[in-house]
Amino acid sequence: MAEFPTPDALAAEFDCLMTRAGITIPPQRRAAVLTAYADLRGQIALLHGRYGPEAEPSNVFRLAPAGGK
Amino acid sequence: MDTQDLSIAEMGRLLRAGTVTAEKLARDALARVAARDGALHAFVLVTEERALADARRADDELKSGRDRGAFHGIPYALKDIYDTAGIRTTCHSKLRLHNVPKEDSVAVARLREAGGVLLGKLATHEFAIGGPSFDLPFPPARNPWNPEHVTGGSSSGSGTAIAARMVRMAMGSDTGGSIRGPAAWCGTVGIKPTYGRVSRRGVFPLSWTLDHIGPLSRSVEDSAITLQVLAGHDPRDPASADVPVPDYRADLEKGVAGLRIGIPRAFFATATATTPQVVAGLDRTAAQLREAGATVEDMELPEYALFSAVGRVIMMAEAFAIHEADVQTRLQDYGEITAGRFVLGAAITAADLIHAQRARRELTDAVSAALSRYDALLMLSALDTAPRFDQPTDALSSASPIQTIPYNVTGHPAMSVPIGLGTSGLPIGVQIAGRAFDEAMVFRVGRAVETLSGWENVALPGG
Repeated sequence: MAEFPTPDALAAEFDCLMTRAGITIPPQRRAAVLTAYADLRGQIALLHGRYGPEAEPSNVFRLAPAGGK
Repeated sequence: MDTQDLSIAEMGRLLRAGTVTAEKLARDALARVAARDGALHAFVLVTEERALADARRADDELKSGRDRGAFHGIPYALKDIYDTAGIRTTCHSKLRLHNVPKEDSVAVARLREAGGVLLGKLATHEFAIGGPSFDLPFPPARNPWNPEHVTGGSSSGSGTAIAARMVRMAMGSDTGGSIRGPAAWCGTVGIKPTYGRVSRRGVFPLSWTLDHIGPLSRSVEDSAITLQVLAGHDPRDPASADVPVPDYRADLEKGVAGLRIGIPRAFFATATATTPQVVAGLDRTAAQLREAGATVEDMELPEYALFSAVGRVIMMAEAFAIHEADVQTRLQDYGEITAGRFVLGAAITAADLIHAQRARRELTDAVSAALSRYDALLMLSALDTAPRFDQPTDALSSASPIQTIPYNVTGHPAMSVPIGLGTSGLPIGVQIAGRAFDEAMVFRVGRAVETLSGWENVALPGG
């Protein structure tokens, strides 16, 4: 994943995503939502670049019954 | 007779002996709700008429020889995301304030069929995600141990109702820890069964592939009795598993001698929010289990941050898909916390979600592999005791004080069990996870922890 964006770039990215989704964030809530977005963006970064093409997504995931080690 | 501390099994014995009636149990519970809930706000709706009708039916049936089993005549309450035919189901939200379902959810139907007595609907964080909040149609539930402190969520009213001794069992739901978090912070037992074990049909979804439903209760046995009623295949729930349901009480008192229990210590040892009092509690529990004959040792799982990231990305994406239209057109009608969480789902890309699903497979396989070496895993439910309302924490952030989401990601069963009180007089809980569909082992280890910790002798709040 690309380098983590600067605060201004992060805000611009978030505004773009909200516009694309048709969501209007009230101005008084924007700062709190942006802080949460920055935290989420940091978590998302952990998921990128981990796997080669052979690693398939769970579908949804698999469980073995008890005893089926 | 004072009925407030009777276990579900004890109530059953007295009902069958004719020493007490289901109507008395219901009236006593209603009286406790009336006396205590004004300060605690566990209930958003008390269904007194329904409760008394259920109770009289239970009494009539027992008199005529019809016994529906261990839950017959037992009072209980429901988190207000469970559909109840003819009874308002609000999700604690302005958006569904006047929603009256036509049908019961599967869980409610099974509890009714088992002879349960419905006392009412309980507070929740809005749509099982946004809270504790003061900008919703109902106030947030308060922690009976200290009402200035939160309950944890999202099954907030369920934790309150149990800890305040209003009822022995209250249904919750758990998408990232919403059963086990309130259980830990309110000093109750709370089990998230295996994904697919209990039908979710008729329970308002937060995130389809992470949602689980289950009970919060006063004791491990209470939860085992309740799960016996709830568990089983539902062909109309696409996630429901057709796996045999064992007798959950058969091995409850078997103890832990000879069992192998692993502690993924790095989960909490490396977290900045971890406090010494909860680690001391977990280490005390581990020592008690060793003394009782178990092998208990530290082991490793993939890093906690990865579980947390996977869970949050999937939850946010699926929740946004559910709420997209209302978030676009009625954002102001959600509480501020709920709205702030739902809009994040719109910022997740397709690649983010696919990577999370790839990691989910890796993590599920890692936990299953660990559980081929251990009978159960032991860890903290939360990194500290319940915070005050004026010191809010974000249970979904990377710094969440609740450590429950790994087993929502992997689907394995996990239960929080109280082990004692911290320095502030608030409860501490530990978490026990087990193999897929092996809730019986989770109950067995949990019952041992409950006994060894001496929790049953701790004086509860509620008069």
